[in-house]
Amino acid sequence: MSITTKSPILEVNHLKQYFSLKKESLFSPKQTVKAVDDISFKLYPGETLSIVGESGCGKSTTGRSILRLDEPTEGEVLFNGTSMTSLSKKELRNVRGDIQVIFQDPYASLNPRQTIRKMLQEAMSIQKVMPKEQMEARLLELMSLVGLRPEYLERYPHEFSGGQRQRIGIARALCVNPKVIICDEAVSALDVSIQAQIINLLKSMQRDLDLTFLFISHDLSVVRHISDRVIVMYLGTIVEIADKDSLFDSPSHPYTKALLSAIPSIDEQHKKDRIILKGDVPSPIDPPTGCRFHTRCPFATDYCKKEVPALRSLSETHQVACHYAESLLKEEIV
Amino acid sequence: MNKEVVLQVKNLKTHFTTSKGTAKAVDGVDFTLHKGETLGIVGESGCGKSITSLSLLRLIPTPPGKIVEGEILLNNKDIVKMKEEELRKVRGNQISMIFQEPMTSLNPIIPVGEQIAETIRLHQRLPRKPAWQKAVDLLEMVGLPSPEKRAKQEPFQLSGGMRQRVMIAMALACTPEVLIADEPTTALDVTIQAQILELMKDLQKQIGMSIIFITHDLGVVSEVCDQVAVMYAGQIVEHRNAKDLFKTPLHPYTQGLLSSLPNIHENQQELQTIEGSVPSPYDYPVGCRFADRCPHAREICRAEAPDLLETNNAETKVRCFMHTEKWEVIEEKEELVCP
Ligand SMILES: Nc1ncnc2c1ncn2[C@@H]1O[C@H](COP(=O)(O)OP(=O)(O)OP(=O)(O)O)[C@@H](O)[C@H]1O
Ligand SMILES: Nc1ncnc2c1ncn2[C@@H]1O[C@H](COP(=O)(O)OP(=O)(O)O)[C@@H](O)[C@H]1O
Ligand code: SF4
Ligand code: SF4
Ligand SMILES: [Mg+2]
Ligand SMILES: [Mg+2]
Repeated sequence: MSITTKSPILEVNHLKQYFSLKKESLFSPKQTVKAVDDISFKLYPGETLSIVGESGCGKSTTGRSILRLDEPTEGEVLFNGTSMTSLSKKELRNVRGDIQVIFQDPYASLNPRQTIRKMLQEAMSIQKVMPKEQMEARLLELMSLVGLRPEYLERYPHEFSGGQRQRIGIARALCVNPKVIICDEAVSALDVSIQAQIINLLKSMQRDLDLTFLFISHDLSVVRHISDRVIVMYLGTIVEIADKDSLFDSPSHPYTKALLSAIPSIDEQHKKDRIILKGDVPSPIDPPTGCRFHTRCPFATDYCKKEVPALRSLSETHQVACHYAESLLKEEIV
Repeated sequence: MNKEVVLQVKNLKTHFTTSKGTAKAVDGVDFTLHKGETLGIVGESGCGKSITSLSLLRLIPTPPGKIVEGEILLNNKDIVKMKEEELRKVRGNQISMIFQEPMTSLNPIIPVGEQIAETIRLHQRLPRKPAWQKAVDLLEMVGLPSPEKRAKQEPFQLSGGMRQRVMIAMALACTPEVLIADEPTTALDVTIQAQILELMKDLQKQIGMSIIFITHDLGVVSEVCDQVAVMYAGQIVEHRNAKDLFKTPLHPYTQGLLSSLPNIHENQQELQTIEGSVPSPYDYPVGCRFADRCPHAREICRAEAPDLLETNNAETKVRCFMHTEKWEVIEEKEELVCP
């Protein structure tokens, strides 16, 4: 199956999300954070598309804009071909049921005074998923699906461990029969042994329920494990999009290469060839001109300082935003 | 092997008494740290890593916490028994510490250079000018760009990575024998983490100090540590040379931990998991603390607690009946009781 022959379930076109900051004083200039600055991508049914990048690069903002938790500054999001910005309140509510989200810390998003049963019932009634009589059976089914005992329905969020709370977060996302789930750092706060349980759970649910995932994470090992395709972001822009194997086996953007090489590995073979980037990620308030990565890129030229590199195709499944991607690939630089 | 021993911890127990009962956060920890060596302490959240490191400097909030048993021998002197005055000399001079979030240990309104200079003045009785100069030199050594200028800035004007460099500079101000680093790169992005790890390795080569490196990230351990101690439920379950540990983990918990890591270098189908979760520090099981999750558990594991024992290699220690002589007999006699 070639994904490009299907039509996308979600399409993001020229999305921009700017935030204006409070002035420090009357005389200081007005400042704008360009959290997401003109990104476009497509999400195809049944796939897992990941967004990776370092803290502050705009991953969560992208997810929030899609959910319209923040109103986008510019650009549009299409769900099954319909623009979400054109929807009425009621239509938007329906779509919201189709797109669910799982956050890093489910505790923050669970009402501490509600039992798990109450919480799931409420979510299902708001979305009018099914008649009341069928709900009980569905609750039990959901609990077994996420690997929790049925008696846990009567418990409160604080009575659970981090891993169990994440399972509850997943049950809540699933209870309204969504088509797309946005996972924002959904396993990042968990210990590895628990993280592995949750990743396996997400994968098996995707298989059984035909779900589409937008998987936001800073952890590239997890991303390699769970994704079909990967987007790499840097300072509010997309620098590379590729199918998983191309991205991990032949990364083409200098930032992707550095990011991959910076990951500490327990594997002796992979310890050499580390690219240590100099300096910090610049501020999104006043991002560098031209290629935003030029202040840290070992290959930057004067041209890079002036010209913004467009995201262009290296192959059918691989796009990159670097002026010199082809020649850098050939040189096999270390 | 005749490596010089710097720090020796024997049967350390640090407990917290609360309304819920007694939390045995650290419950019988033993290890030896040699000169110039980096010892990694790893384990999942809540297993007692931070409380172990805070205990070494007696920084446990008392009450509710207390070191109830054990010895911490720094060059053969027991820190547990030291008077407050003696302890103050150890802190910062012989042992220093850096934490995950540098902001909590830096004063937010004093320029960073001044904070370092103050530490130097206090511990080395240097006058103002030379102390300041030394502070700037230290900032240069830890790779802070334009150190003269940065020294005059307050912590909030620096990025997370720069603040961690400042903390390292401060910790190194008095060339300690032992540096304890508790998750020093966990709050940082991977490209910045790579910079800081590189720096720590370089500095250790220059100064020759010993490092205790606490982290939950096995990748980081494998990058920087010579020796590794794996903690589970308040105890060390395996203590080995890092290379061996990653190649052939001995304890079933270490094995489970390593196999649940997603591999960035190849595609895998399903991840191995360790079923269940860690026991509560208020209520450990009687026998082996890992028995409820261990695929090899036998009846004896539920009834008796294994000790941390040397294997036939004296430098390898593991807390598991599987690696004792009687296991062959047990295997024949007893049924598996695994989950
Ligand atoms: N003040 C306290 N009162 C009661 N229990 C405590 C206190 N401080 C720590 N504990 C308990 O002691 C145990 C060990 O805590 P510690 O902070 O050493 O864990 P850790 O291994 O550093 O975990 P992490 O990876 O999450 O930092 C935990 O179960 C914790 O809940
Ligand atoms: N509500 C907001 N107001 C101002 N700035 C914001 C807001 N939300 C996010 N930002 C900024 O936008 C950038 C991207 O943030 P975010 O999407 O949360 O990053 P990530 O999820 O990739 O770590 C950051 O610089 C962040 O500080
Ligand atoms: S466009 Fe230039 S600065 Fe940007 S990544 Fe490519 S080589 Fe580096
Ligand atoms: S002592 Fe028994 S239960 Fe504990 S780790 Fe060894 S085999 Fe498993
Ligand atoms: Mg985020
Ligand atoms: Mg800790």
